[in-house]
Formats: sequence, C-alpha cells, structure tokens
Amino acid sequence: MTAAANNSAVLRATNVRKTYQLGRLRVPVLRGVNIDVRRGEFVAILGASGSGKSTLLHLLGGLDAADKATTDTGPASIEFEGSDLIRFSTGRLDEYRRRRVGFVFQFYHLLPELTVLQNVTIAAMTAMGKLEYWSKRGEVRAHASALLERVGLGHRLQHRPAELSGGERQRVAIARALVNKPDLLLADEPTGNLDRVTGASILDLFTDLHKGGQTMVVVTHDEATAARADRVVRLVDGSVVAA
Amino acid sequence: MYQFLLTHRYLTSKVMPLLAALAVALCTAMVIIVWSVMGGFLVMLINSGRTLVGDVTISWPITGFAHYEELIKRLEADPDVAAATPTIETYGLIGLPDGRTETVQIKGVDGPSYTKVTGFADTLYWKPIDTPHPKDKYKDDPRLQNHKLWEFCFEGGKNLVRYEKPERGNVAVERPAVVLGVSVSGFNIREQWGFYPGQARARQPDGTTKPVNTILPVDGSVTINVLPMDTKGRAVDMVARTFPVANEFHSGLYEIDHKTVFVQLDALQNMLKMNRATRVATDSVVTTNAKGEETFATPTVLGEDPARVTNVLVRGKTQSFESKAADALADKVAGIYRQFAKDFEGQVPSSTSIRILTWEDQNRTMINAVRKETALVLFIFSFVSMTAVFLVLAIFWAMVSEKTKDIGILRAIGASRKGVAGTWLLYGAAIGLLGAVVGFAIAYGVVTNINAIHEWLGEKLGLYIWDPKIYYFSRIPSDLNATHVTIVLAGGVLASCVGALWPALRAARMSPVRALRFE
Repeated sequence: MTAAANNSAVLRATNVRKTYQLGRLRVPVLRGVNIDVRRGEFVAILGASGSGKSTLLHLLGGLDAADKATTDTGPASIEFEGSDLIRFSTGRLDEYRRRRVGFVFQFYHLLPELTVLQNVTIAAMTAMGKLEYWSKRGEVRAHASALLERVGLGHRLQHRPAELSGGERQRVAIARALVNKPDLLLADEPTGNLDRVTGASILDLFTDLHKGGQTMVVVTHDEATAARADRVVRLVDGSVVAA
Repeated sequence: MYQFLLTHRYLTSKVMPLLAALAVALCTAMVIIVWSVMGGFLVMLINSGRTLVGDVTISWPITGFAHYEELIKRLEADPDVAAATPTIETYGLIGLPDGRTETVQIKGVDGPSYTKVTGFADTLYWKPIDTPHPKDKYKDDPRLQNHKLWEFCFEGGKNLVRYEKPERGNVAVERPAVVLGVSVSGFNIREQWGFYPGQARARQPDGTTKPVNTILPVDGSVTINVLPMDTKGRAVDMVARTFPVANEFHSGLYEIDHKTVFVQLDALQNMLKMNRATRVATDSVVTTNAKGEETFATPTVLGEDPARVTNVLVRGKTQSFESKAADALADKVAGIYRQFAKDFEGQVPSSTSIRILTWEDQNRTMINAVRKETALVLFIFSFVSMTAVFLVLAIFWAMVSEKTKDIGILRAIGASRKGVAGTWLLYGAAIGLLGAVVGFAIAYGVVTNINAIHEWLGEKLGLYIWDPKIYYFSRIPSDLNATHVTIVLAGGVLASCVGALWPALRAARMSPVRALRFE
C-alpha cells in the first residue's frame, strides 16, 4: 500500500450476489462477494476467465445491478462513500458513472467517428449541461489535451481511433476515464488486448496515476499485472478466496 | 452537448442516414409541388371567378329594382367603395351565324362603369398584343398583326359597340353590340399552343374542324332572344334583336366563357322592358269626338316607372383575397342599402329581402369543390409520404443495431437513457431537416420551372400532361405559399422524428453491459 492510501473505505461491497437468467436457467455469477477499497488504494481483482471479476467490476461501477434479495448471510450492499449503489435510482447511477467513476475497458471502447480529443471531451460533455459545457469548452479542451499529453498522445489529438495502435487507443481510454477527475478508476483487463511491452507501458501509466493518489480497481487474470497493486483480491467461481 | 457532436459526426460519416434524408426530401418535394400546383389552380380559378363580379353584389333577380342610380351614388360616396355599376342578369337564347340556337346567360352592362368595377377589359380577347404567348414559338397568333383592327375591336368591346363606316362623313357610327364568351360560338378552337387562330373554325360532329368565313368580332352578328317580365314577375312576349359582335372575352372558366353574353345595358333594359317608362291609365283608349268619330284618346299619365336593374356590383378600395375584407365590405354595403331601402320604402326590395353577396359567396360551389379536391389530393399524397416515416424507422433501427456498442460506451461514461434517446431523436430531426431543406430546393426548382419542364417533356417525349386544348389555363399554375411550405417542411422534420422515435427508445432501454458486449 502506498502512502496515499488511508484507512477510510471509499467503496465497500458486502454480500454482493449476481445471478443471470438464461432462459429457464439461473446462473449465479457472484455468490456473496465482500470487498473494500480504501481511498488512494490500488486493488487488483484476480481471477480466471468466468470467475465473475468483470461482473463485479460492472456492479462496482454502477453499470449493472446486483441482486437485491437478502440471503442467510445478510443484505447485499455496495456502498460508495456511505451511499448504497444498489438502492440508487437509474438517474443517480448515471450521475455516479458521470462524476465519480472512470472506466477503462479491455477493448478500449472508443467512438470510431470521433477524434482522439473528442473521445475524451465527450465524457466531460456528459457531465455538464449544454450551457455549462459551452461556457467552459476552452477549459475542457485544454484539460483533455493536457491529459492526452500526459498519456503521450499530445501529437494525436485530431486522429481517429482507427489510425491508432492498440496501446494508443488504451491511452485515449485512460484519458477519457480521467477527464472528469473521478474518485475511482475501474479497469477491466486493461492490458488483455495488448502485447507484453505495450501492456507494460500501460501498467506503468497506472502505477504513475496511483502514485498521484488515484484510487483504482483493476480486474485481471494476469499475475504480473496484479503484482503492481497494493492488494490483490482473488475471485474463484464468484467468491473471494483471498484478499 | 454530446448529442449535437454525435449527430454532426454521424451525419457526415454515414451514407445510410442520407438515404433516409433523401426519402424525406422526395416526400417533402412531392407534397410541396402538389400543394403549389393545386393552390395555384385554386388561386387562378378564384381570380377568374372574381374577375367579372366585383367584390360585392346587390342582387334582386329577374324583376330587378329601381332607383339604382341613387343607390350607386350613395355607394360611391362611401370611402371604402371604389366604384359601383348596374347590371342585368337574365337567361335567353342566342341565334348563331351557323343557325344554331343556344341557351346563354345574358348580362347587360354599362361598359365604362363595368370596366371600373371588374376586370372585364382584361378579359377581352381580341386586342392588339406585342409579345406572343409563351408557347407561340412561330408567332402565329393573329393579334400580333393588324393592330389597328384589333384596337377597334378592343375599344368596341369595352363600350359594347361596333364601330361601323358611316354612310356619309368620317365619324364612325356606333351600334350597340354584344361581347360573347370566347367559347359561345364554337368557332374559336384553341390551338395546342394556347391561343385562338385568326381563321375561325367550326367543330364538326365527327370531332374534326373546318374553317368558317365569319370572324365574329369583325363581321359577325348574333340574335338575342329574351323573355321580359313585369314587376310582378309575369312573362310578357319574347323579344328578339340582332346585335353585331363587338368582341369576345376569355375569363379562363369554361362555364363562363361557354355560356355568357354581354349586351349593352340600355339595349337589354329596352328588350326586357326594364327601362324608364311612363305609366298611363288603360281605361279610356278610344274616345268619341264631337263629330261622333272614334279617336285614340291621349292617355292619362299616371306617373313614371324608373328604370330597373337586377344587380349593382361594388368594388372596394382595398383589393384583397381575404374573405374578411369582402365580408367587411358586404357589411358596409348592407348598411348603405338599409338606409336606401328606408328612403325608398315600397319602391325597392326591403333590406331583409335583398341579396348581398360577396364574390366568394357567388363562387362558393366552384371554390369549395376545388378546395375539397385539393384537400383530398393533399391527404392522399401526405398519406403516401408517410412511407418516409417507415423508411426512417427501418434505417434507424438498423443503425441503432450497428451502433449498439457506441450506446454502451455512452452509458458507461454516464449518458442517461434520456440523453441516449435524445441523441437519436436529434439525429432524426437533423435527417428530417436536411431532407426537408433538400426537398424544398427540389420543389422550388420544379415549381418555378414547371412550365419549362412540361414543355421539355412534351418536346422530348411527346408527353403533354397539361394540354391547353383541355385546360383553359394555357400555363400550369403554381402558387408557392410560404405558410404551406412551412407546414410541409415541419411535417417532414416531424415525420423523421416519429420514424426515429422507436429506435431511440430501443437505444435508451439497452442494458449498458449487454451493449458493451455486443459484437
């Protein structure tokens, strides 16, 4: 754990369950997961394919809803700064994703029609009203450009994603995730689609961000990636086996 | 804000939505063109129907009413009235030079004052012209030559007289004459190019035509037969009189041009016994003088019956096609007539019985028929244009499927469901707006050049949809009305938004996780 991490849990998931309904079949993916993430901490969730780690990340990021039913192990909750995401309205969850969380995906998920700069500023647009964005558009662009400069893409602002390498695309995704200065950065296999060298440079970037005090949760199946974290949570068949 | 950015990017980087815009454009253009042509047709009909009736008509049919000169004086004293004129309308028979007899509507008019109230002078056909008809490529129109002859015809037509050579001296003799509707005689067969040839032709039973020697405005005459009525509405003996033809008129409405004859007012008053007359006692026609011989007694004069007319036509100072303007003038005229009827109580029809009609009232049947036809055609074309909604829907449905991952990304970075739906609706509106603007441009190009396009089609393909031999307007009318265009353009945008609505809702309802996993 770095010096930046402190004891207050910014995110606390308790007894989290998720079951998917596939036709008549109910498939439990998460079976009562408990996890804490402290402010400034870099947590890696390590697990094999199908262990439920991406699902857990989606629940922590408010992209998907956990099961609400109370079981014999108690009620489920995902508390972010004391508020339970499971009880959030759709609008409040949107607000949570807009302002408090930044996502980085394995397959980058950039909008192909937009330039690199626009792919970053669009996240800021979602967080602002039309008038607010219009009045601050200069600042927003400058901030987005600075972020892209920081991830090494200052010279690629007007390029389209199709003109970038995998590593560059992931850097754009990281800049997008950071543009609204989120409390929590959630990354789902951020190096899973990259070669070893490029993957390592992305992890270096994460390490730098963490050193700057960014709270992060990274989902991975790669031990080397997990080794960069302050703490590793191992997930097997939807349950935490070691933290 | 991101909605605008994405709409702009999608619009400029995709071909598929441009097909949706094209569908909207074609539908918009189609409806604007149809509405403009039908609207133009209606305006032309209204103009033609209004030309010969003024703005407001005071009418007491068949027997007519007296003291009209005083009524006209009072009307013309009103600041809202430009002019008024007396007319007589009746029905009669016309004997034509080829021996045919036709039933016609006969209008007795005072040429100079009738010209002030109506567009009568403009409708006179035989007059000198300097520029040929737009379609008269070979300049065959007889009115382009022999200007002096046509000038005489035109002057004669306006005054309803035929100028003839005097037996002595140099001053032309004026004979009361008639002006026929251009289709009354059946001699004027309209050319393909929209004018009547100098050589009159008579239509044969087999559909062909053959030349006839009589050019009515030059040397033709017709016999008018009317049935006079007394003030009680009882028929008196039929009266016939032969008149030279001064000119022919072309209002553009076949029903009028085929069935109307103008006669000099004085002459028709005489024929119908509606002229000023001395009333005498009829009890002592024959007396015996001092020698015991029977002689005709000097009749005892009881009084004088004033001249009568069936109508007084009024023209307002403000010329407007608005119904309200004519209604306001009609109210004014009714007020003047009320006072007039009070002053001449017992001698003229009461203000509650007299008919005061606006030009629109008089043409209501025709105007309403065309308005209904226009509405029906518009409804059909608008209904057909609804295909644009389904085209937009199908294209947007496919696009939402294609862009599922983008929707997931937007949701992941915090876009709300409303925001996602708004993106697609805004995109639909942009497609609609683009289509509507392009559609307007197409429609504007077609409507403003419709006659040139029609002519080109005729020349290249032999396709004459608007044949001047059939339609009495030789040019395809059009009226690009700003309000109508705005309605259609708004409809185009709305149709596109409606088409985009369902796909937009589908996009909004997508689960972000599933959308991100979409391959």
